[in-house]
Order: sequence, then structure tokens, then C-alpha cells
Amino acid sequence: MIRTGKVVRRLWPLFLIVFAFTPRSAAQNVEVEATVSETQIYTGERVSLSVRISGNFKEVQRPDLSDIDGFSFLNSSPSVSRQYSIINGNASYNYSYSYILVAQQTGDYRIPPIAVTVDGEIYRTDPIEVSVINRSTSPDPKPDPRDDIFLKLEVSDEQPVTGQQLITNLTLYFKSGIEVRSYQLVPGWKAEGFWKEELISKERPQSESVILDGVRFRKARLLQYALFPTKSGELTISPFEIVVSVRKTRSFDDPLSSFFSGFGSNEQRVNLLTDPVTIDVEGLPPISDASTVGAVGSFNFERSLNTRTAMVGETIEISTTIKGSGNIPLISKPDYELPQGLEIYDPQENTSINRDNQRISGTKTYTDIVIPRKPGNYSIPEEKLVYFNPASGRYVTETLPPLNFSVRRNPDADITSPASLSFDIKPVTGLATWIQPEDRPLTARWWFWAGILLPAIIIGVAYRQKIYRDRMRSDRSFARSEQAGQHAEERLQQAIRYSDQEKIKEAYNSLHKALTGFIGDKLDLPEAGLSDHQYLSELDSRGVDSETIRKIRMLLNKSATISYAPDVSHDYLKSHVGLAEEMINQLKEEL
Amino acid sequence: MNRRNKDNAGAVVGGLLMLLLMAVLTSHSSAQSNPQLLFDRANEKLQAGQYQEALADYKKLVTGREVSGSLFLNMAISYVELDSLGMAKYYFLKARQFEETEERAEAGLEFVNSQFARQSAVLPKLPWEQAVNWLGEQIGSAALLGIGIFLLNAGIIGYVITWFIPYREKLIRITGLSTAILGLLIVLTSFYVHYVDQRYSRAVMVHREAAVMEKPASEGPVISRAYEGYTFTIDHKRSGNEAGWCYIRMSNGVYGWIRKDDIRIL
Repeated sequence: MIRTGKVVRRLWPLFLIVFAFTPRSAAQNVEVEATVSETQIYTGERVSLSVRISGNFKEVQRPDLSDIDGFSFLNSSPSVSRQYSIINGNASYNYSYSYILVAQQTGDYRIPPIAVTVDGEIYRTDPIEVSVINRSTSPDPKPDPRDDIFLKLEVSDEQPVTGQQLITNLTLYFKSGIEVRSYQLVPGWKAEGFWKEELISKERPQSESVILDGVRFRKARLLQYALFPTKSGELTISPFEIVVSVRKTRSFDDPLSSFFSGFGSNEQRVNLLTDPVTIDVEGLPPISDASTVGAVGSFNFERSLNTRTAMVGETIEISTTIKGSGNIPLISKPDYELPQGLEIYDPQENTSINRDNQRISGTKTYTDIVIPRKPGNYSIPEEKLVYFNPASGRYVTETLPPLNFSVRRNPDADITSPASLSFDIKPVTGLATWIQPEDRPLTARWWFWAGILLPAIIIGVAYRQKIYRDRMRSDRSFARSEQAGQHAEERLQQAIRYSDQEKIKEAYNSLHKALTGFIGDKLDLPEAGLSDHQYLSELDSRGVDSETIRKIRMLLNKSATISYAPDVSHDYLKSHVGLAEEMINQLKEEL
Repeated sequence: MNRRNKDNAGAVVGGLLMLLLMAVLTSHSSAQSNPQLLFDRANEKLQAGQYQEALADYKKLVTGREVSGSLFLNMAISYVELDSLGMAKYYFLKARQFEETEERAEAGLEFVNSQFARQSAVLPKLPWEQAVNWLGEQIGSAALLGIGIFLLNAGIIGYVITWFIPYREKLIRITGLSTAILGLLIVLTSFYVHYVDQRYSRAVMVHREAAVMEKPASEGPVISRAYEGYTFTIDHKRSGNEAGWCYIRMSNGVYGWIRKDDIRIL
């Protein structure tokens, strides 16, 4: 059994404190906001006023609405909607009170701050300006040069100074009766001469009603950019293009809308382009007694050291923090007069940009890294930095106090340092080696092509030889055919040798073998058992010239009958050998 | 008689003028054809402490067809004496590329680098980039190509021999094939090294200070600042379309644009 009594008794004051503060802290998340459906209306028209309370609260009282000048309430009790949600374990309520007001008189009116009591605390909304126009005195809506739907770039200031933050809205205007289904941005928009940052909107585009030259339009802000002019002079913001998918709804109170008349389909995709916007940018006024970092906006400068004492060779960081709203991305690093004896390295830069709240704000931090090379006391002098405030139209100076630090000798460091090196390099005199710089492409060298082609040639030749060798080994008839000439030559030489030895009969026998062997090898005939007539018939069937066949027949007959010839000289045989060689060469060409 | 004397005097003057003209032309052409003469003359000025005059002569040689490591080393020394350390570093780096002056240029670079108050942080390059740079600087793409082609041929011959000589056939065939593949890879590597060498160059910052911009324009966001003696890698391909600007990688790994006038490209 676990005893918990003492523990609980000790902790209960803590629980009490936690529970006592929880509602208060939760009530701090409450947001109260008032909106109207239209800010420009005709007399007698209705406008919806909504008061929205959101956050983590327990109790809310109905808004305290007294009479509003220029308007009357259509009904005294509002319509109420409630929502409850839990996100990441945090409960949240949304209450919405909606009133319908009727415009009574022409004029510009202000809906005063509306008080709402939430968990005993009173919250007030921001006032809202509403303009009531007399329909009979408003400009004649005909003829209307505008399209039924158009896109516009709306710049917060058309005469800014260099670096000033310009809030630029991409706003879509469309007449009632047109329903915008979706839109798609066409990429490639460039704002030459500006640094641009897209601002983040957490809410989906909401449309509101406006009257332009007597014609009622609805307008919706699609995108919002912060533009910073980077130079002075006349700058033009190039057109922005989007593709809108729209649908014409049946609206009998919109007789002027003729944009889609004539189309068969009700839904269309339309390319919209803004007009270019020209802005006259003034240069920043000159300044002389302080250093500027190009900051335009509202900023706060701070400077600090990461340490006040260090050893020689240790890193010291000088951090400069610039915080505020304005041209944070364009601010440059302040330059300080650093004392002698410091080795200065590239600064580090860290930028944090907040794109919420319809403006660019954030923090930029520069960290100068220095390494002291000598011991002693160092002082970075006071620095005056300025930024230009466009709201006041003048420079604001901020003074950064001096920074001091001391450096002591490092007992473990080497005695010599790189700075103590002396320059004792002597120039080269006398004969120098002169060369012509060569900057040829690799393929411009002859040996490259030779070296690349040679392997191909080697492979080609060797492969051909390999194929021949392999065939000689494996294909007997091919081998016989290829070697026929060589064998015949050997036999003819043998015949001459026999003749030298006066062996005429053997000599003619060799001559006969040379001829028949050659024909047999070339035509892949059996090596033995064939008659001369058969050899000659084979030659005849292969289309060998008849004169050649006749001479071969004569030689073969001579070889067969020479045994019966008593007087055959050596020269006589040699003439027959010569004729046989001639016939063999003739056969080589024909077979 | 007087007229004849005048004619003789005119002929003598004309001859002297002709000789003078020939002497001038000869000396000019010989200086152009033999850079050693001009180099010796510039060296005399350097040793006499006339650094600007010596540099003027050295610069004439630099624009010529022939160059020398000694020329670049002496130019660097002149710039050191004139306290133009950025230019001195540039010429020491050029002199280091020659074997005859490599050692002295290294010593000069060590001295010059120690004199710069601002040092750039160094982000080491990737191992592959380091290897390619080493091959380009220490071996050279042409030498690599030669080695590759030799190995390719040797490997192919070794492989082909096995078709005809059945001696340790398998071993020789594998060795030949491996050598040929290695040679082919080296050939391809040499082309890559050559491409990298042509596309990228080193450069030295020679002015006191300059802004490194995000875009090639004077007005716009400044990414970083460069100081005298900083070295960069120039990307010629990306720089090509922007006259007067170079796209660089700083030693600390930051990329940006810098004015061409502020740097000297090796």
C-alpha cells in the first residue's frame, strides 16, 4: 500500500496556485473582432455587423450595443452561432453575434468600439468606418468602362523612399452575379528594381463590397507582398497575371453584367492581368555624422561580446542584432573600427523574417569573428548607427556603447607567430626558362586520335586473324582450299629436284600430283581414287576456261605417258613445271 | 663645291638616320623576339628599387607569347615592395605553377598571407572536388590522357595476345581487360579534369574590399564582403552572360557575384 497523504498535503498549495491562475492565463488568449459585410452602401440598404469572440473562455456576455449614428437595427436581438473545437488538446470557443443594420442617412459614419465582457473582463473591438451614399446622387453607373472582373495591384505608398516597405495587394474586383470558383497564379512575375517578399495570410481570401464610380463590386485580396525599392527614380511594377475560374450566377439585379453573354457554358477560365504600376521612389537624404546600414523602417540595434576575457588565439564574437520591421533582408553589416592586433574573419549572418501581420519584420544578427594575436586590453569604440523612419521622414540615430575586453597570453602557444615572418625572397635574375602557355583542347593533339584509333585497328586485324585461324582448324575443306597452292608449289619443286636427280618418271609423277592435288584441294574432292577425266570434268562443271582445261589435260596426259618417252631432258620438264605453275595461278583466280 | 659638300653632308645625315632607325627597330624587334633582354632590363630596375618601372617592363612581357615562372615571381616581389599584397599574392600563385619557382613562391605566399588582416574562413571542398583539383594541378589533363591511352592500348594488346598465344590465357586476358578498362576510365577522367579546368578558375581579390552580391548588379542584397587576398573559384560558364561580373564560390562556401575589376583570374 502506498501512502500519499503527506505528499498531497504538501502539494495542495501548488495545485491551488495553478488552478487560481489558469482561467486568467486562458482568458489572455481571447480575441474579439467586429466586421461588417460592406463598408460602402446606399441609403436604405442593409449591412451585416458581426462580433466574433474566440479563444479559451468560460463565460461571455452579449455585446453591449448602443445606438449607432446613421443606422437603425432591423432586429434588436442578434443571431448567435457557437462553435467548440479542441486543437492539440486545447479547447477553443467561437461565438458570433450578427446584427442587421439599415443605413438611414448619407454620410461617413463610424461604428464605435463594441464592448464585450468575457470571463468578467471587458474587451473592445476596433472601430469601423462605413460610408453611406445616396443612390439618387451617386454617379451614373452608365456607361461603365470597367470589365465585369478585373485585377489590380494596390500599393500602400506611391511616393516612397529607397528601401521603404511597400505593402502591395493583389486584389480581384468582380461584379455581383459572378462567382469566383478558383484562381491560379501564373508564375514568372518579376518586380524589377524591388526586393520582394510574399506576406503570409492565415485566412482564406474574403470578399467585401465596394462601390466604384457608382457601380457595386466585390473585392477580394488574393495575395500580399512587401516590396522594397532598391534604387531611386521612377520604377514600374510589371503586370501580374492570374487565371480565374468564374461562373455566372443568375442575378436579376445586375443588368449591366454582360461579360459572359453569348457563352454556351456557364463556367469559364479567364486570364486577368493587372495594369503596370509606376512609383516615384525618392532617394534617402544624405547623412554624414553616423554610419548607415541601409535600414529603412523601425528598428532597434544592439551589440554584445561573447566574452570579456580571452587568451591569445581564442575566438571572440561581436554580435550585432538588428530587430524591428522594415527592409530586414536588405540591411548590410555595420563596419566597426576594430583595434590593431586582431585577426578578422568572415562575419556570420543570421536572418529571421516574420511574414505575418501584413508586414515584414524580424531580426538580423551579424557576428564578427576576431582572434587576438597579442595580449592586452582592447576597446571597440562607440558606434552610431542610423536608420531612416519613413513614418517620420527622418533618420533615427542609435548609439552602440563601446565594448571592452582583455586578452592574456596563452602559455601553451608557440613563441613565433605567422605575423613575425620576414620577407627575404630574392628575385630571379639571369637566364629564365620561357615557355609558351598551351591551352589546346585535348582532342587537338594528334596522338590522342592515334591512341584512340590504334586499339580499334588492333582489335579489327586481330579478330580477323583469329576467325581465319579458327576456321583453318575447324573447317577441313577450307583449310585444304587455303593450303592448296602451297602444297602444289611444294610438289612442283619436288618435281624439279627429281629431274635434277634424273628421276624423270618420279618428277612427272610429282607434277601430276601437284595438279590433281591442287584441283582436289580447291574443289574439296576426295584425295584419292579419282581419274584425270573426273578432275577435268569437275573443272568444266565449275566453268573454268576451256583453254585452261585443255592445257591441264595436256599436262596430265604428258605426265601419264612420259614413262614411255626415252629422251626427256631436264629443260623439257622445267617448261612443263612452268606451264603447270601458270595453270595453277589461272585456277586460283577462277576457283 | 659648296653644293657638293651639302650633298655629302645630306648623305651622311641620311645614313646616320637610317642607322639609328635600324638600331631602334632592331632593338625593339629583338626585345620582342627575345624576352630575356627585356627581363634582364626589368630585373636591373627591380634591384635598383625602381619597382614601378620594373613592373611596367614585366607587364610588357606578360602580354607576350612567352612567360616564365621567374617573371611572375619577380612581379610578385615588386608588388610586395609596393605594398600591393593582393596583386603580390596573385603573381605568387602564378609563379607557384612553375617548377623552377615553386618553392620560392610558396614562401612568398606564406609571407603575404600572414600580412592580411582579414582572413577568410575555409569550408573544405568535397573529396571528389579535391581529387579533381589535385589531378588537374599535379598531373594535368594532357598527361592523364596520355597515361589513359597507353594503358588502353596495352590492355587491348594484352587481351588480343591471348587469342593467339595460349600461355596463362585466363590471367593475361583478365589483366588486359582490367588494364584497358582502367585506361578508358583515366581517359574519361582526363576529359572531366580538362572540362573542370576550363570551366573553373581560381581568382584573387586585389582591391581592399568589395561586396559579394546575390545578383550581378550593384544594387541589391549583399551576400558577403570580400577583402584583399581572398581567393575564389570562378565559374566561367555562369559568368559568361554577365559582362563585368563573375560568379564565384568563396572559400567559406558562399556563392555570389563580384565585379571582375576587383579580382585577378589565374
